[in-house]
Amino acid sequence: MSQIVVGVSDLKVSKNVQDTIITYALGSCIAVVVYDPQARVGGMLHFMLAESSIDQRKARDNPAMFADTGIPLLFKSCYRIGAEKRRMIVKIAGGASILDDAEFFRIGQKNVTAVRKIFWKNNVLITSEDTGKNYNRTVELHMSDGRVVVRNASGMFREL
Amino acid sequence: MTMINVDRILKKIDRIPAFPATVRKVWDVMKDPDYSMNELVTVIEYDQAITANILKMSNSAYFGVRRKVSNVRDAVIYLGQANIARVVTAAGITRFYKDVKGYRLTAKALWEHSVAVALMSKILADRVYGREEPMLFTAGLIHDMGKIILGEFVFDSMQEIMNLVSHQNYSFLEAEEEVLGTNHAEIGGRVASNWNFPQEIVDAITYHHRPDLMAEGDSANAWILYLADQACMMMGLTGGMDELSYRGLGMIMSKFSIGHREFEEKIVSLFEDLANARELINLVDATREK
Repeated sequence: MSQIVVGVSDLKVSKNVQDTIITYALGSCIAVVVYDPQARVGGMLHFMLAESSIDQRKARDNPAMFADTGIPLLFKSCYRIGAEKRRMIVKIAGGASILDDAEFFRIGQKNVTAVRKIFWKNNVLITSEDTGKNYNRTVELHMSDGRVVVRNASGMFREL
Repeated sequence: MTMINVDRILKKIDRIPAFPATVRKVWDVMKDPDYSMNELVTVIEYDQAITANILKMSNSAYFGVRRKVSNVRDAVIYLGQANIARVVTAAGITRFYKDVKGYRLTAKALWEHSVAVALMSKILADRVYGREEPMLFTAGLIHDMGKIILGEFVFDSMQEIMNLVSHQNYSFLEAEEEVLGTNHAEIGGRVASNWNFPQEIVDAITYHHRPDLMAEGDSANAWILYLADQACMMMGLTGGMDELSYRGLGMIMSKFSIGHREFEEKIVSLFEDLANARELINLVDATREK
């Protein structure tokens, strides 16, 4: 079994049932996890910010930094190794905020809204999510069965 | 209970080793605008640990030196004054970093967070002051020293602290204060004060989670440090238990007239700097291997 780590502004896909794809310390950033149970192909995106218009050059160099460029790339990368859109299950986690949710610091909420909008526009349902609150999350995707597990440092353990 | 704790915590501060004399000497030498390069090189080379660290960092893309730096003299010549001050400071400060059990932080995670805050403080200072504020880089590197001191006490009272944070809407800082009678920012300020740092740094560290509690008219440094710290925490650049359990102070937006979009642009810049500063971040692991 091998573990594939997804960094910040990064995405990884796999079609190997032995793999676990994992990302650590999602604060306001979001992990988008997709899985095709029939092809047993899946992937994970860990994006930072909602809109690539913040920095177009960066978005070209690294589409995984932003939701609007990273999500399409995640899907395409999965299609390339055998996934099909109609079978894909989508789960998201992250988008935490600091306390009081002062408008200025609402990057987490903004990220959650951006993801929902993108999937809504593309007629894709988000099967389940664990978003908001004020703690960091670690997310794992098990390629054998598509199981997605979310943890935090104080022992929270949730299967999405 | 609380009083006994504070007493024990203060005793622990007194036991923290002195700030590296070499770093202080380098700062002193550089105070003279006509300082001699030879003198600077001699001061640095006298300290082997710092010299080794400097050589590990000097070829980092973050400092933009185009040629290979392989000795202290090259570093002093090619890095330039502002960068050599930063490199020496970072090289000297790593020795204080160790695993902090109360916050579940490894030395490496805390160091990476501290470097990120230092880099972000520089980005924000350039924007707010239109110039560099060297002291802020140092303040960024040591702003969480209080956690290193407070760790074991937080560990002993973890249940109580997490209960306040999870169920009673306390910020982590407020919970530390309620349970331990002090907080890691205040303790960090005391460490900086023991090290005879300028009052501005002491204040910036003491108030880095609550700059709104400072007297009106005080320097903007604490606000910059606060904003840099929040940005890093939001981006997951901390492995600590306390995570995002801190207060968001919305007035910072009008204070610096920074909008959402610009803030997000600064975050993108931070990640660019972090990618270029790998050698700086790797310093702590490297130090511990020796």
